[in-house]
Amino acid sequence: MSVSIILEHLLMVVAAVFCSILVGLPLGIASYFFTRVRRIILFVADVLQTVPSLALLGIIMIFVGAGKTTVIIGITLYSLLPIVRNTYLGLSEVDPGVKEAARGMGMSRFYRLMHVELPLAFPIIFTGIRIATVNAIGTVVFAASVGGGGLGAIIYKGIRVMNMKWIAFGTLSLMAMAIVFDIAMGGIETRLNRKFSGPSN
Amino acid sequence: MIQFEHVVKKYGDATVLDDISFTIEPGQFAVLIGPSGCGKTTTLKTINRLIEPDDGTVRIDGDDISEVNRVQLRRRIGYVIQQIGLFPNMTVAQNITVVPKLLKYSKEDCDKIVHDMLEMVDMPYDQYAHKYPSEMSGGQQQRIGVLRALAASPPIVLMDEPFGALDPMTRSALQDEILHLQKKLKKTIVFVTHDMEEALNLADVIIFMENGKITQMAPPEEMLKNPANESVKNFLGKHIAVDDPSTLTAADFLRTNVVTVDSKKSLRTCTAQMMRSNVDSLIVTDENDKYIGTVSVEDIKSVSGDDLRVADVLKNDRETFRVDDDAKRCFDKLLSTKDNYVIVLKHDDTVAGIITKTSIAKALAERLWG
Ligand SMILES: Nc1ncnc2c1ncn2[C@@H]1O[C@H](COP(=O)(O)OP(=O)(O)OP(=O)(O)O)[C@@H](O)[C@H]1O
Ligand SMILES: [Mg+2]
Repeated sequence: MSVSIILEHLLMVVAAVFCSILVGLPLGIASYFFTRVRRIILFVADVLQTVPSLALLGIIMIFVGAGKTTVIIGITLYSLLPIVRNTYLGLSEVDPGVKEAARGMGMSRFYRLMHVELPLAFPIIFTGIRIATVNAIGTVVFAASVGGGGLGAIIYKGIRVMNMKWIAFGTLSLMAMAIVFDIAMGGIETRLNRKFSGPSN
Repeated sequence: MIQFEHVVKKYGDATVLDDISFTIEPGQFAVLIGPSGCGKTTTLKTINRLIEPDDGTVRIDGDDISEVNRVQLRRRIGYVIQQIGLFPNMTVAQNITVVPKLLKYSKEDCDKIVHDMLEMVDMPYDQYAHKYPSEMSGGQQQRIGVLRALAASPPIVLMDEPFGALDPMTRSALQDEILHLQKKLKKTIVFVTHDMEEALNLADVIIFMENGKITQMAPPEEMLKNPANESVKNFLGKHIAVDDPSTLTAADFLRTNVVTVDSKKSLRTCTAQMMRSNVDSLIVTDENDKYIGTVSVEDIKSVSGDDLRVADVLKNDRETFRVDDDAKRCFDKLLSTKDNYVIVLKHDDTVAGIITKTSIAKALAERLWG
């Protein structure tokens, strides 16, 4: 029972969300670019999230073995939906006038994406990342079941030996972590939103 | 020089551009106008290849643009749209230098461009260069929109209802500015609007479109003088009258609610009628409502006898006019006689109305200020 367990938990969350961004962002962009693959990508991300998280981790464990890698892969897959969906949404909701201006000025497809569309979609994408992070903090509890450690392990241990202190420590740490992330990232989000939408838009 | 040669664009069964051909000379300010959905935007976007025609050729300075890389092409053509479309994530300076940066201008050149551009529209650099679009009014934003299109000195600038969303004051200020810029920079400008006033203000040549075809292409004066058909005429509306008085007729200045009296009525009835309407003379008609003369208070006073009728005293010495007579003749008559009105008849000799100094003033005000 110590700070290192919290850090361990946090590390798995951050690693998983990071991987999820790495995979999810390109998938979101692909959904925006290519109408044909959009349905498939969004469908798969959707289905992945309906698999119970414990079951998903179990399945991955069979292939990868117990440990943190399994947790990170599982939570990565699990976090994909909010990131892919919000990336796609954010990009498609960029003001059509701005998109047309960008095209009309002679920006290439890639340049438009990097300099106009992604920056403008970023607030919405960031919302997706926040949702994924807060979800992941809760879901990583199941890491304990596949040998990944973290705060889940302390709660399980507390339940097994009926130690109220351990259960309370685990639970409260989790809640605190979720709230802190939610509020901090929410704050960034409002600031991002304000930046691009002033009085006349 | 921009040349359209038999350009056709279809969406499914709908032919949006129907075999369009025209030429815009270098340095000309061409305004595309016409009813909504007639294909103005489509025509404009064909020039920078935002839309590809199904048939025909578009040439710029003789070169078929379908053979030019479209991204390169667009960098040499300024583009301003009604939605303004400034990049909200970029400052004014960054917005202005989008195309110069794409063309790999040096940083110093870009800086100089921002300074020069802002100076042209009297927006102080220190005050505006580092503002974000959302911190400015619509009019200021569109000024930047125009500057952004001009920044890399493109020889051609396309504008799609650029001032359409602005209030009338801002709009006319920006019209003046764009005219001024055009005179100074000698760009070829293709400008879409559906406001004829704007077109007449700005255009060297107006291209009037209808149903994907060009109805008339002519300088403003020429179009005002000889509108090709009814719908061009309708679009020109009040401007025809103001700008070409020779087309005005008596009908344009009529006051139609006039008091008439039947010639068989008794003088007593006639006097009562005058008093009720508060006039000192009446127009006299026969039983078929045809004009036969006028009767005045003096005429009635100068006779006596109870059984006299209007027919016995009426005068028929006035010159009358027809509804389609030249308005100027009516004016001259009105100004040269002591009568305070002239009478205008329809072709069947019934009374169409009268023209008074007040009715002239009213009609003129209507035409001038709508
Ligand atoms: N992508 C499209 N698919 C199908 N039809 C289209 C498309 N774009 C335009 N049209 C049709 O083509 C016609 C011409 O459109 P265009 O935008 O050129 O009109 P416009 O003259 O600019 O009209 P407005 O004054 O309303 O802007 C319209 O009837 C429109 O409905
Ligand atoms: Mg249009």
